Amino acid sequence: MDTGLFIQVILSGLSVGAIYALVAVGFGVVFNATGAINFVQGEYVMVGGLSAGMLYEAWDVPVLVAILVAIALTTLLGVLTEMGLLGFGRLRTPASITIATIAIAVVVKGAAMLISNRDTFALPSLLGPGSLQVLGASTSRQTLLNLLLAVLAVAALTLFFQRTKLGTTLRAAASDSETLQTFGVSYRTTARWAFAIAAAVGALAGAGLAPLTVMSFDSGTLLGLKGFAAAMLGGLGNPRGALAGGLMLGVAEAVMSGYGAAAYADVVAFVVLLAILTLRPTGMLGTSRAVRT
Amino acid sequence: MRKKIPTLLTCSALLALSACGLGSSGSDGGSDDTITIGTLFSVSGSGANLGDKMRKGAALAVKQVNADGGIDGRTIDWVFYDPAGDTSTAVQQTNRMLDSDGVELVVGGGGSSGIALAMDPITSSRGVAFIATEGARQIVEPAEDHPLTFKTTFNDTVMVEKLIEFWQANDITRVAFMPDTSSFGQSAQEELERLAPEAGIEVSTAAFDPAANDLTPQVKRLAGNDPQAYLAWTITPAGVTFLKNVRSVLGDDVMVMHGFGFVDERYMTQAGAASKGTLLVSPKLPVWDEIDKSDEQQPVMEDFAAAYADEYDGEQPNVYAGQAYDAMMVAVEALRATGGDPDGEKVADAIEALGTHVGVTGAFKFTADDHSGLSVDDVAVIRWDGSRFMPAK
Repeated sequence: MDTGLFIQVILSGLSVGAIYALVAVGFGVVFNATGAINFVQGEYVMVGGLSAGMLYEAWDVPVLVAILVAIALTTLLGVLTEMGLLGFGRLRTPASITIATIAIAVVVKGAAMLISNRDTFALPSLLGPGSLQVLGASTSRQTLLNLLLAVLAVAALTLFFQRTKLGTTLRAAASDSETLQTFGVSYRTTARWAFAIAAAVGALAGAGLAPLTVMSFDSGTLLGLKGFAAAMLGGLGNPRGALAGGLMLGVAEAVMSGYGAAAYADVVAFVVLLAILTLRPTGMLGTSRAVRT
Repeated sequence: MRKKIPTLLTCSALLALSACGLGSSGSDGGSDDTITIGTLFSVSGSGANLGDKMRKGAALAVKQVNADGGIDGRTIDWVFYDPAGDTSTAVQQTNRMLDSDGVELVVGGGGSSGIALAMDPITSSRGVAFIATEGARQIVEPAEDHPLTFKTTFNDTVMVEKLIEFWQANDITRVAFMPDTSSFGQSAQEELERLAPEAGIEVSTAAFDPAANDLTPQVKRLAGNDPQAYLAWTITPAGVTFLKNVRSVLGDDVMVMHGFGFVDERYMTQAGAASKGTLLVSPKLPVWDEIDKSDEQQPVMEDFAAAYADEYDGEQPNVYAGQAYDAMMVAVEALRATGGDPDGEKVADAIEALGTHVGVTGAFKFTADDHSGLSVDDVAVIRWDGSRFMPAK
């Protein structure tokens, strides 16, 4: 067996998997607060990566500044998503919110197409070019950064949901928003926080992904679906599950690319999604909480 | 209930309006002072970037022809639709163009081979000539089954022949090939695996998904065969990832190549240091100012590049804009030859009788058997030197 190839496959899987994990975390945050699946999540990744790339190219700002501004812009988009769905749209049920997010995703993608003039945008790595050599395999330095970001984001969000008042409120909102409102907590406020956090995490994923490839208005949709598969795999709403699910999905795809038919690498995510929905709908690390009606 | 009435009224008013809109969409085709040409390019959806360049190329041709007095005094009435990369939408739009817009000749097949292949039976069954700007050779081959359909792009067969010629001249016998899984990549794989062994070149292939974000497993796997050159075949941004990944895994000394779908300065710049030295098989357009002045194509390319930059705020045309411009110009030349008669068979005969049409993409020689018209002589091997394309040695 070729160890170099094996290590390469694992590194490749972790590199892409870290991005999937961040996307999956975003799905979890909104799900926890509203019970809905936010299909704008993939577009947050696109907006984060694309706007960072555009800022970097158009104004020649330092990479870090471009990334921070992009995260701020995307977070604002998250808040706007909430305002559109719950404010303007007055939606309250998870099913109606979920369906409306699909419409918002289409609008965001279309707007990004016009603003970016259909061009692709790149972003250099914060750690500079050059690659890491590991046991006969090689990977971009960005891979390391992405893994670190994914782990830190998951740790931070886990602490946030378990230890802070706002985090507890967000979880309570998912579990019984009506009772929560009788305590004087606004459903809108909790939901707005959730969308803002999800968008920020999505933008982080986009900024991590852009140096590995290039971003276009079209980059988000498939990532969103794969992040959703990762979230389902790990257990929707559980940040640690999202990390595990994302990395596993990334490695599974890389194994398919390295040893199997690469043409089917993209199918892996959806086969995983189907299998998990059939066999264990709550995911590997999900609680056995049933779907509320 | 009361509240619903205005809504209902508004809805029905809107419906009525849209119905009117559909019915009245220009049916002035065939009038004495215009010729109606219909075009589909995907200026939205995935591949929108390429579609936009194609639209600009075709629009420039229309503008030039009309400003120049049109075709025997008749101006081109240009009907444009955007199928957004979706084949079923494109089929509806093609039918609408021919049924209600009075389109007499079709130029441009949606910017994707799949769409062009779906449009061909529709235009053919109406006896309308169709000049595609898409790559797949099946759009026009075999010519006897596509008597009214032409295209102004290279067949991948021609590109593969040029590659083999280049490899043989450089003593390269082992090649790693990475096509994407689209019909563009798969068709090239078929041709390369058919033609390379006869030429004594050993090809190892690993395909990749166009949406992939990391191709290092494939690169590493192919490296096991110790190839002398790595060739990718895609039009998607994944080609940037390919460049970065090959350099990351194998260093700077290995020969890296791309097919003609990736001839794009923007992609090259975005790959940063990883793209320097990349070799590409390409039409001559990107190096028009570096080729021999005696080349008959040189002045055509120069004029096109200048007019395009003038029309679009200094933007440089790419090969996709060139193909679309050529397609429109071939249609115009043929219509001039028929005296403005758009009848499909007459136009097709005229295109086959054009002799050599020196275009931006190459010197087209359409015949009854060859509806693509380009040959190995029209292909250049070019090299990205870090800031621009140059002819490769």
